[in-house]
Order: sequence, then C-alpha cells, then structure tokens
Amino acid sequence: MTAVDTARVRRTGTPPDAASGTGPAPAARGARSAVGIRKVVLYRETVLAENGSAPARPSERATVAAVLANPWVGTGPATDLAPAVEVVAPVLAQLLTGRLIDALGGVDRIEAFGKAALVGTAGELEHAGALIHTPYFGNLMREFLGGESIICFADTRADAGETLVVPMWHKTHAATRSHYQTISARVPDAPRPDEIVVIAAASTGPRPHARIGDRATDPVVTAEKLEIS
Amino acid sequence: MTVRKIVTIVEEVCAEGGREVTPAARVAVVAAVIENPWAGQGFVEDLQPGIEQHASAVGALLAPQVLAALDAPAEAYGKAAIVGLDGEVEHGSALIHTLKFGDHFRKAANATTLLPAVEKRGPAGVVFDIPLKHVTDATIRSHHQTVEVRLADAPHPGEIVIALAAAAQGRPQQRLAPLSTER
Repeated sequence: MTAVDTARVRRTGTPPDAASGTGPAPAARGARSAVGIRKVVLYRETVLAENGSAPARPSERATVAAVLANPWVGTGPATDLAPAVEVVAPVLAQLLTGRLIDALGGVDRIEAFGKAALVGTAGELEHAGALIHTPYFGNLMREFLGGESIICFADTRADAGETLVVPMWHKTHAATRSHYQTISARVPDAPRPDEIVVIAAASTGPRPHARIGDRATDPVVTAEKLEIS
Repeated sequence: MTVRKIVTIVEEVCAEGGREVTPAARVAVVAAVIENPWAGQGFVEDLQPGIEQHASAVGALLAPQVLAALDAPAEAYGKAAIVGLDGEVEHGSALIHTLKFGDHFRKAANATTLLPAVEKRGPAGVVFDIPLKHVTDATIRSHHQTVEVRLADAPHPGEIVIALAAAAQGRPQQRLAPLSTER
C-alpha cells in the first residue's frame, strides 16, 4: 500500500456520524458553498523530541481553519445574529471536526480540544463570537469529538495573516493539567476585512514532558501560607 | 539526524476571485525541523560528509508524507531550507541542493524537473514562501505558484527547517496564455 493509499484509507475511515469534511460528497460541498467558504487549511504537528528527548507519550496536535464570508458585514449592532448562526455554525462544526478526526487518526485518539475565530476589520468581534460561542457550534463540536468539557477558546479581530494562539484542554476532564496546551494558527491571506476565520483545534495527548503535577498532587497554597501580605 | 518536529499543512481553496473552484485546489507542505548537522563547529570547509550523512534521509522522510497529505497526484512541487540564526544558508542549501535529497520526491511523484527552492536564514516563526513549478515541464505557466509557511517555534538558532511542497493542480482560476504563445 502506498502512502497515498494509506492516507485515503484513513480519510475514508472516519465514522459516518462524524461527517467527514474531506470527502467530496456533493451535499457537503453544497453546504460549504452556501456558507461562503473560500478556503480550508489543515495544520498538524508531531513533536518527536523536546528538550533533547522523545516525549513519553508522543502526541499530535492539529488545527483546521475555515475562511468564510462574514454574513453580517454592513449590518448594525442591533442586528439579530441568531438566524445566520443557525445556518452557518452547524456546517462549520461538522466540516472542521470531520477534518480534525481525519487528521488525527480517529475521534478516540483525540484527548484535548479548543476553538477560535478571527474576524476581519470590517466586522465586529461579536461576529466571530457568534460562530463559535453558541450551541450551534460548541455543542456540535463537543458531540462530534466525543467531549464533555466546555471548549476553551481565543478570538480576535485582525488583518490577514495574524497568528492566533489557540488554547486546548482535556475534552472530558478540563482540569487535567497535563493537557493544558496551545497551538498557533495562521492563515496567510485571511481574514480579509469582510471575512471570518473559524478554527477547531485538537491534540491526541498531553504536553511533551508534562510534569507540573495536578490538583490531586498539589499542596495547599495560600497567600497566608506563603506569608505574602 | 535529529528531528524535533514534523509539520503537515494542507490548503484547500474552494473559491477564488468570487468564483467556486471545483474540485477544491489542494496544496500540501510537510516540514521537518532538524538539528543543523554543522551547528557549533565554526566554519566547516567540507560539507560533503554531512550531506552524505543526512540529505538522503531527510528526502526519504518527507517525500512520502507530502504525497500522502496531498492525497492526489502531484502536478507541481517545490522545496525549502530555512536555517536558524546560528547557521549559514549554505548549510540549508547543502541538504536540499543535491540529487540525493530531491530524487526521493522526484521518483515518488513521477517527476523529471528540478525542484524550485527557497533558502533563507531567519528566527523561529519566520514566514517563508515555497515556489512550486510543474513536475515534468518547468515552463508550464499555469502551475507557477507559491505556498506561504510559518512554523511558530522553528527554526531555533541551531536548527534547519527542511520542507517539501506539492500541488494537485495549477493556480486556482489560472487563465494566462502559455509561454509558447509569446514565442
């Protein structure tokens, strides 16, 4: 089997309910064009060595970014965002999580997640928030990725090419300290002023050499105990 | 060869110039962040032993991965060597400007042309553009394109980023007259 075949098997091996974004299914493509997606960018990194040695548990991290037309450009601050959110956000949740699952080798391998949005300069930050902070995105992303935690996030308004550092934490136990981590996301030519970049991020494991304890091992630390007045 | 990190990027352009691109135009990049083999050795006159030791291995590592990421036959391709601040650009060039490196990609992609390249030195997070040209005829104008890359924490001063890029097609909405029409 060639490397290309292997990748194809991995891509088509996505569980059907996770709605793979990579398949050229006409319905999915239609939905994408209906929400005005210009570009989809996958970034995946595998850390083989950190500070000179291999991680005990090597993990892969990935982001998938979709660049779409801001549906609210030119509208005022009193505009009800809900109608467009209900149409656009579920398409994004399905597309982005499908790609993440494919890129990381299956939903069961994903241990941590996060989300982010960058709105172009002709939009409001509220527009970015509208696409990632409602159940039409967040609940679906959690469901598709088999999570239970609230999904941590970053958002900003920026020119094209801005780097956004996306936080992630454990998908079922958000307080798991070993899984607090971030990944840098950047699309070189987006967002244009009238666009929004929506990003889903995930990791298959903890930080490379996680060793800063956890709530279960922490001593009791208070200002009084440390004699900080 | 010590590899710290491998990065895969796949860009799909679904629309360009306000018109749909069907099928979406795919470009893939795979980059390995490696230790500069000549780091800390001062001026090394003869780079050949290091080339013999590493160039083929890096090419063999990256070529299958970039084709797997593209998941389609490559019609255009390119390469990059980005040297960390303590190294010489010559170190990056040494690793990629040898058939020992490029032949892995050329054979896997059924390609015949030389790989266009970017070589530069920069800090971690430096932005670089990888030029791509057609895999069998570097004069095919529709396939001249570039892909922009940035790795947030590489190269460190003693590292080199080596990357391969592959495109499944020419530019989205390409519509320039071929070179032959101007001759």
